[in-house]
Amino acid sequence: MVETYRPESLLEALEIRSRGALPFGGGTDLMVARRGYTGSLPRFDGTLLFTDRVAELRRVTVAEDVMEIGAAVTMTELLDHPETPALLREALALIAAPGIRNRATLGGNIGNASPAGDSLVPLYLYDTQVELRSLTGTRTLPLKELISGVRRLTLGKDELITRILLPLTDFSFTRYRKVGTRRANALSKLSFAGALTLGDDGTIKDLRIALGAVAPTVVRQEDTEQTFLGIPLKTVNPDEAARKWADAVTPIDDQRSTAAYRKQVALNLIAGFIRKAQEEL
Amino acid sequence: MKISQSITRFDAREKGTGETRYVADLEVDGLNYGRFYRSPYPRGIIREVKVPPLPEGYHMVDHRDVPGENCIAMINKDWPAFAVDEVRYIGQIILLLVGPDREVLDSLINRIEMALEEVPALYTMEEAEAGRSAEGVKVPPILGDTNLYADYHLSIGDTASAFARAARVVEQTCQTGFQEHIYMETQGLLGWWEEGQVAITGSMQCPYYVKHAAQVALGCAEEAVRITQAPTGGGFGGKEDYPEIMGAPLAVAVNKLKIPIRMVFDRVEDISFTSKRHPAKISFRTALDETGEILAMEVDTQLNGGAYESYSCIVLQRAIFHALGVYCIPHATVRGRAWATNTVPSGAFRGFGAPQALYAIETHMNELARLKGEIPGDFKKRCLIKTGDPTITRGFMKDKIIMPAMYDRIDQISGYRRKAEAYKNHPTLGIGISFFNHGCGFTGDGEQRLIKARAKLRRDEKGRVEILTANVEMGQGLLTTFRKIVAEVLEIPPETIIHANPDTNRVPNSGPTAASRSVMIVGYLLQEAAKELKARWAEPGAIEAESHYTMPPGLTWNQETMEGDCYPSYGWGINVVEVEVDPETCEVETRGIWAVYDVGVAIDNAIMEGQIEGGMIQGLGYGSLEKMEVKDGKFHQNTMADYTIPTSLDFPTTVSETMDNPFEYGPSGAKGAGELVFDGAAPAFSGAVENALGRAMPRIPLTPEIILEVLENEN
Amino acid sequence: MKIKFTLNGKETGGDWPAEKRLLDVIREDLGLTGAKEGCGEGECGACSVLMDGKIVNSCLVPLGQTEGARIVTPEGLKESPRGRALLDAFAQAGAVQCGFCTPGMMMAAEALLSRNPKPDEQTVREAISGNLCRCTGYDKIVLAILLAAEKGGGLW
Repeated sequence: MVETYRPESLLEALEIRSRGALPFGGGTDLMVARRGYTGSLPRFDGTLLFTDRVAELRRVTVAEDVMEIGAAVTMTELLDHPETPALLREALALIAAPGIRNRATLGGNIGNASPAGDSLVPLYLYDTQVELRSLTGTRTLPLKELISGVRRLTLGKDELITRILLPLTDFSFTRYRKVGTRRANALSKLSFAGALTLGDDGTIKDLRIALGAVAPTVVRQEDTEQTFLGIPLKTVNPDEAARKWADAVTPIDDQRSTAAYRKQVALNLIAGFIRKAQEEL
Repeated sequence: MKISQSITRFDAREKGTGETRYVADLEVDGLNYGRFYRSPYPRGIIREVKVPPLPEGYHMVDHRDVPGENCIAMINKDWPAFAVDEVRYIGQIILLLVGPDREVLDSLINRIEMALEEVPALYTMEEAEAGRSAEGVKVPPILGDTNLYADYHLSIGDTASAFARAARVVEQTCQTGFQEHIYMETQGLLGWWEEGQVAITGSMQCPYYVKHAAQVALGCAEEAVRITQAPTGGGFGGKEDYPEIMGAPLAVAVNKLKIPIRMVFDRVEDISFTSKRHPAKISFRTALDETGEILAMEVDTQLNGGAYESYSCIVLQRAIFHALGVYCIPHATVRGRAWATNTVPSGAFRGFGAPQALYAIETHMNELARLKGEIPGDFKKRCLIKTGDPTITRGFMKDKIIMPAMYDRIDQISGYRRKAEAYKNHPTLGIGISFFNHGCGFTGDGEQRLIKARAKLRRDEKGRVEILTANVEMGQGLLTTFRKIVAEVLEIPPETIIHANPDTNRVPNSGPTAASRSVMIVGYLLQEAAKELKARWAEPGAIEAESHYTMPPGLTWNQETMEGDCYPSYGWGINVVEVEVDPETCEVETRGIWAVYDVGVAIDNAIMEGQIEGGMIQGLGYGSLEKMEVKDGKFHQNTMADYTIPTSLDFPTTVSETMDNPFEYGPSGAKGAGELVFDGAAPAFSGAVENALGRAMPRIPLTPEIILEVLENEN
Repeated sequence: MKIKFTLNGKETGGDWPAEKRLLDVIREDLGLTGAKEGCGEGECGACSVLMDGKIVNSCLVPLGQTEGARIVTPEGLKESPRGRALLDAFAQAGAVQCGFCTPGMMMAAEALLSRNPKPDEQTVREAISGNLCRCTGYDKIVLAILLAAEKGGGLW
C-alpha cells in the first residue's frame, strides 16, 4: 500500500520527508524505473512525496546574478524563462521530448543523478550550488559534492533538494553539444558544455569544460582548466589541449555506445570548441 | 491513370478520433488475462518447473493440455507450442498462466522456478558453423549435424572460366544486423469460447495462418476455430508469424478453460521475445576484366535463423534470388545458408531477405564503381538487366524495365550525377544511390502450389457489394485500395462497397497479407470477380462471384531445382540519399532523400506516397539507427528508449515519384509495392556515407561508432 | 485515494490508488480508449493527453498528481471545432495509416497550435518529436498539421 502526500507548503513537505518519504517531482524517471508489466501499478513501497504543489519549490527568482530555481520547476518552465542562460537552455531543449519536458523537474534530474543527466552538464559548468533543507536546518553545497556517484547523492534521508542556485556568469564564448542516440527524444551517448572568457589582451581569463556520460559523474577538471589561464588563446594547440582531459574521461561500453567512441568524441569536442573559439573571438 | 487519383481513406476519421478499437480497447465481460512463463536459459533440458500453488480462478496451461500436435504449425512443425523438455532460446514459451487479475498473475509468473540441465549455447553464425561456444567449448549441434536449416546453391554460366581469365578479383563481405518491427501496437490477441468454436480476434496479418496453427494444436475440424482480424496497429511482417506463436497456446487455453482470455504484450516483452529480421553476412568474390567490368560473381549468403526454422528457408530463398540485384551477370554462383542458433527465432520483416541481399549487392557495386573510377549510378546503369536477359535461377527476365528512364528522372530531381562527382573530394558531403527490385508475390509457384488464393464478391438483394478476402488492413490502405479496384470495374462509388475486417467464418482463404501480394495478386482476383459480377448484375437476388488464382501464362518454375521464373513480376526502384558527416562526432545528417518507383500503376497516389515515405524512414532506420545486439543470448536494446527508431527530427522530407509501367496481371496494371519501398533506403544511405568519406564501410546499421572505428583503424 | 479532476470539460472523480497511471484510469476505469499504450515508458507518445493545456505522457502521470487538473483526451478533442479541423486535415493529407499513433499526434498538434498558430515545418517536427510513428515516415503528418494551421482560420 503506497501512501502519497501532495503538500502545498515547504514545512509540510519537510515534515513528510523527515519520515523517509521518496521525493517525486514529475515522475518521468521514477515512473519508468518502477514500472510493472503493462496495465499494472508501478512498484513503489513506503511513502511518496509529490513536490509539484509546494509553492517554495515552484519559484524562479533572479537576484544579484544568481538564478534561484525551485526544485519542482519543470524543464519547459525553465525554457520559457527569459533569464535562463543559453548554455542551459540548449541542454534543456534537447532533453527527451515536449511531453517529458512539461513534467520533468530540475530537482528530479539532479536527484536521479544519472551519469547521462542532460541538465547536469551545464549546471556543473556554472559552478551551481544546491540548497538542501530538512526540519533541522538548511545547507548549501556545490552540485558536484551533492552527486557522489552513479545515482548516488550525499543527501540525508531527511533532506530535500529545495533550490538550485545558478550563478549567471557571462562568458565570451560558449558551446553545448549533445551526442544522442538519435536527433530527438534521445538519451545522451555523451554531452559537452564549454565556456571561455577572453581578456582584452587575448589571454584566457576563464575556461570551463564539462562532459556528461563519460564517467560516473559529470567531468569537470578545474585543475586542468586553470593551466590555461593567462595564456593567449591563439597559441593553444586544440588537440594537445584536449588530450589533457584524456585521463578524466573514463566511459564504458553499454547498450547505447562504446567506450572508444565516447572517449574519442569527447576529446574531439574539446578540441573543436577551442578551435571554434579561436575562429570566432 | 485515373484510378491513381487520391481519395480520402475510409478508415482515416475513425482512427483519428481514437474510436477504432484495437484488441486492447475491447470491453469484455468476465475477462481473464494470460501471461507466458518463458525460459530464462538459452539452452538445455528441463528437469523441473515449479509453479507456486494457484489461487482459485487461476490456471496453468502447458504441453500436457495440447489435444492435437504440440507445435506451431508453420512451414515446418519443429517449434513446440509449449516446451516439453528441450529449450533452445531465452524466452522460449514454457507455459501459460491465466487469471482475472494482472497483479496476481505477475506475482505468480515471477515466482515460477525452472531447473534445467544447461548446455553451452551457440549465439552467432560463426559459433554455429564451428560448433563451438563463445568460450571455445565444443558443443553438440542444435539441429542435425551441421546446424543448418538450409544450404542452397544456384549457378548460371561458367564462373570457373571467367575467374581464370580475370584481370583482378575483388573480395568483400557485407553485414546486416537484427531489426525489430516496433509496430506501435504491440502483439495482442483475445480468445474466447463461442458455440463450439475457439474464437480468436486480434492484431494479425494472416487470419488463416492463425486458424491453421490453432487447428493443428487442437487437432480439431475446420469449423471448430474462428479467427477475426481486429484493427491492427502496424505489422511489417512481425504479425505474420507471431500471432500463431501466441495464438496456438491461447487456443489450447481457451479450449481447456472455455473462458475469455486476452494477451497483450508489454513493449519490453515484445521487443525481447518476438521475431526479428534475419541478420546477414554476405560475401562477394568478383572477377573483373582489365577495364574493371564484371566478368563473374560468386556470392555467399548466410542468415542467422535463430532457434527454430520458422520462415528461414523462404527468407533465404528470397535473399539468394535477389543476390545479384538488378544486374545481368551471366556467370554467377550463389550459395545460401541459414544457421540455427540459440537466439529468438528470426522471422518475417518487410523485405523478407531482399533488403539484406540488395544492401549487399548495392554496396559491392559501389565498391566496384569506385575501383573503376566511375560514379556508382553510371556504373550500375550500364550493368542493368534487360528484358530477355538470363536470371540467377536460369530463367529469363520477363518484365518491361524502365530503370534507365527512372535514373534520368531521379538525376533530374536530385542532381545526383553532378553531386556524386563534386562530393568525391569533399571532406564531409556525400551522395549515394541504390538500384533495386522486389519480386512480387510468393516465390516461384508458391501462389499456385501452396496458397491457391480465392477471393469473393457478394452482391445482396439490395444491390450492395461486399468484398470477402482474408487480407488485412494494417495501415497500408487495403480498406481503401480494394474498394477502388472493385469500384473501377463495377463503376459504382467506392464508398458504397462494404469491406469489413476478415472473419474466417465468412471469407475464403485469399492467402496471407505478406510478400507484397495483396494488391497485385488478390486485387487482381477481385478485379476478375468484379468483371463476373458485372456481367451477371441483372440476375435477381443475392449473387456471388469467386475468383481462383491461376499462374500467368509463360511462367515456369521448378521448386526442386529452383530453376525458372522466381517471380511473376517485379517492382523497381531507385533511391538517392545525400548526407553530411560531422567530422567531430561522425554523426551523419541526412540532407536530402529522393525516390523514383515503378510499381506498375499506383491504385491511390496518397496511399502510395504514404508507403514510400514510411518505408523510406523505416529503411533509413535499418541503415543507420536501429542497433540490436545480442548479449548472453538476450537482446541488449530491449526498451523503446534504447532501440532507437527514427523520430520526426531524424530525417528530412522524402521527395518521390512513381512512373507508370502497367503489369498485365495486376489490377489496373498495379504491381506489389509494400516491401520495394523499404529495400533501397539502407544502401543509398550507406553509399552516401562511403562517398562522403571515400572508403567502403560495409556494415549496417552504419552508426557513428562504426564510422569512427573505420576511420581510426586507418590512422 | 479519492480524486477529482476535470476530464474533457466535465468534473470526474473516483477512488483509485494514488500511484495508478493516469493512462490506466482513463482507459480502463473511465472507458476512454483513445489514448493508447505503445510503450509504457514515455518514449512513444501514443498515450498523450493534455494536462492543464500541456502535452504529457499519461503513462507516466500518477493519479495522485491529477487532483484539480484539467485533462483533455482524444475523446475531448474530437468534439471540438479544433479537433474537427485537425481530423479533416489528417484525413485530407493522407496522414493516417495504421492509426495507432494518430490520436497522440492530434493531441501534439493541438498543444502546438494553441501556443503557436502559424508554425513552420521545423517547429511542427519538433512539436511531434515525442510521438513515434512507424508507418508514415512523418511527412504527411507534418503536412496535415501545417494544413490545419492554414485552413484553421481563427480557431487557434
